[in-house]
Amino acid sequence: MNRQNLIWITASFLLSVATIFYFVNNPGGKMAARLLNFETITKAYQQHILMVFVASAAAIIVSVSLGILITRPFFSQWAPIVDNIVNIAQTIPSLAILALFFTYLGRGFSTAVFALWLYALLPILRNTSAGIQNISPGIIEAARGMGMSNLHILTRIELPLALPVIMGGIRTSAVITVGAAALASFIGAGGLGDLIVTGLTVSRNTLVVAGGILSALLAIFLDQVLDLIENSLRVRQ
Amino acid sequence: MIKIKYENVVKQFPGSDHLAVDNLNMEVHEGEICILVGPSGCGKTTSMKMTNRIFEHTSGHIYIDGIDNRDINPIQLRLGIGYVIQEIGLFPHMSIADNVATVLVEKKWPKNKIRQRVDEMLNLVGLDPKIYSHRRPSGLSGGQRQRVGVARALASDPPVMLMDEPFGAVDPITRARLQNEFLRLQEQMKKTIIFVTHDIDEAIKMGDRIAVMRHGQLVQYATPDDLLSMPANEFVSSLVGGNRSIKRLNLIRVEDIERYSPPTVAEGDSKIKVAEAVEDSKLGVALVVDDQGKLIGTVTSTDLKRNGDYVKDIYSEAHDLVGLESTLRDTLSIMLGYGEGYALAVDQDGKPRGAVSVDDIFSAVKDNE
Amino acid sequence: MSQTLWDFFVTRQDMLLGLVLEHVGIVLLAVAIAIVIGVTLGLLSSYYLTLASIILPFTQIMMTVPSIALLALFIPIFGTGFLNGLIGLVVYSLLPIVRNTYIGIKEIDKGIIEAAQGMGMSERRILLKVKIPLALPVILAGVRTATVMVTGIAAIVSAVGAGGLGELIFRGIARTYRDMIIAGTILISLLGIAADYGLKAAERSLTKHQC
Repeated sequence: MNRQNLIWITASFLLSVATIFYFVNNPGGKMAARLLNFETITKAYQQHILMVFVASAAAIIVSVSLGILITRPFFSQWAPIVDNIVNIAQTIPSLAILALFFTYLGRGFSTAVFALWLYALLPILRNTSAGIQNISPGIIEAARGMGMSNLHILTRIELPLALPVIMGGIRTSAVITVGAAALASFIGAGGLGDLIVTGLTVSRNTLVVAGGILSALLAIFLDQVLDLIENSLRVRQ
Repeated sequence: MIKIKYENVVKQFPGSDHLAVDNLNMEVHEGEICILVGPSGCGKTTSMKMTNRIFEHTSGHIYIDGIDNRDINPIQLRLGIGYVIQEIGLFPHMSIADNVATVLVEKKWPKNKIRQRVDEMLNLVGLDPKIYSHRRPSGLSGGQRQRVGVARALASDPPVMLMDEPFGAVDPITRARLQNEFLRLQEQMKKTIIFVTHDIDEAIKMGDRIAVMRHGQLVQYATPDDLLSMPANEFVSSLVGGNRSIKRLNLIRVEDIERYSPPTVAEGDSKIKVAEAVEDSKLGVALVVDDQGKLIGTVTSTDLKRNGDYVKDIYSEAHDLVGLESTLRDTLSIMLGYGEGYALAVDQDGKPRGAVSVDDIFSAVKDNE
Repeated sequence: MSQTLWDFFVTRQDMLLGLVLEHVGIVLLAVAIAIVIGVTLGLLSSYYLTLASIILPFTQIMMTVPSIALLALFIPIFGTGFLNGLIGLVVYSLLPIVRNTYIGIKEIDKGIIEAAQGMGMSERRILLKVKIPLALPVILAGVRTATVMVTGIAAIVSAVGAGGLGELIFRGIARTYRDMIIAGTILISLLGIAADYGLKAAERSLTKHQC
């Protein structure tokens, strides 16, 4: 598995570079050339990656904490309710969240990050609680019966054992966020989606295709890197 | 000395209309193995788990060393009680050494002391630390995992242990071996142990005292021998099963009964001398011993018919031997196997220590009634 | 619900209904096509390992690609409009269906297959009478996942001119018309929830004869 990861990581990186060079040299028109230059593209990458990173980091902190919280015994009666809420929330498309936040908070980068953060919570929350709940009860009982404090049970047993599953959730969340960030251009947040949106507006295929390829490759790149991390966490058990 | 006392202990699980444990009153003596046995649902596991407050009892008291276990901080309580459960519950992401060291780490022992103790414990349960310390639980067989579970519970040398079907998940041969090894350990450790099992034979073999439970109630609390000879009601006697007398033979050892000492002769003695000895002997056998007193053979009237002038020409090898710690059941088995009416007891040095006849076995069972 | 939102629903009923039908239409069509292609690919993959080793990772990769990017890449080929959106949705529906078909078949107890072979059933009969019926629950779960997922993704296909409830959101952004956006969100969500529960019920009734 690791070898496949590395192949895709290098391939997506190299293809991105190749794509950039190709389109910068063949923008297909003056209008397109305004966006298809190194400066603009670099800026787009920066915005995109920053959006994804901030939203994901904040989502990890909140979701993992929430996930731990809802798996504690006193919360067990609320678990089905939370489950239902999460199920319903997952039917709302990221575009809708972005649009709604736009109407309340206006255009721009920070609105998008807020919306992306909210949308990124779900997969991580789901996987954190599933990962913890899937631990064989005998293990937890043995730990408790031996006199392990609740804190130690969490930090030394539950989290380490749930880690690969949590990592899987983080990976799913990150990939979704890259995709949602591409849509954030619709509310003026910048990022690689700008190429696509502008391309659609002015009907320039080079922009659309360039944007499409680059954002697709970014998503693949990130997915493979996180898959690599997830696999290495799994092997350690 | 009473180590653990259960006083009017009741447990009712929320949402259930019957009592899982119904008014348990029992005293466990220090240094004894107290077996809780009964059909599933009888409350034995629940009772055990209330001792270290994994389950909280609904009413009543559980006293350990005279202190109500509700008055002790539960973490402290559990750190002082060894805990071995049916699922074993080894931590899959930790090495065997780290698993065994769990309680020691919680108690903040210094690292080198922990290392030493872990090696000691692994050796104690028959696992070479050099081979097993760094392995993961997934790399061990079921029997090995159960040993690690026991080592983990013994690590901090707790005076009390709770064990729930600790040898359950292995084949009968391995289980018998684990049971024997544990009994040997217990002889040195003399811990107070609450041991849950559904297997009545295991209960009789392992227990100093047995608590038979049914539907949450304590039906009979007695020594294995009393349980076999005086079952309190039909439930207990059917639980114990048939062949009670034979089962009781398992409880009496050769060293416990009076034995007849057949006359001894040396290899160099004459045939005439040994013929006299055989005639005098109650069982019709004389024992041949070497100059260190070790048993090397027997002489019966059949041997006397052989040609030869001295004992060394005519004696037969001694084969129906039993050790002093052997049970009467094993002894009877050997007698039947060789078709002799007796078995010869020898000690660890091989010196003869009397003979056990079928009559002796009958009297022993009768005496104990 | 606020008064303006309720008014919005009432006054624009016809338009909303039209968009809902567009949305449902493209989703159903995409899933139907994906079932035909996906189940076939899944079955073939269970027989030919090399095919499996190509198809499964490929569909996996496709899932990580942002939906807007995929639709964008289809533009030079399919232009803008309904076809573009449809093909895009088909691609996204494929992974859950292909993968669940493959796993559903693979997870069948080998003993059952062996028994069937031992009784003299041909591979084709086994497939029809044993494998597919036993894998059905898992396949249906995959169809359900795909449908719910694609109901959400279909919101984006309006960007490439394929219509659907996404129109409400895009137009809502352009005009900063909050009620329009909320209406779109609620309708898409309701469709997703309806699809989820509806298909769960269908799953149950189709598999209730299984022990």
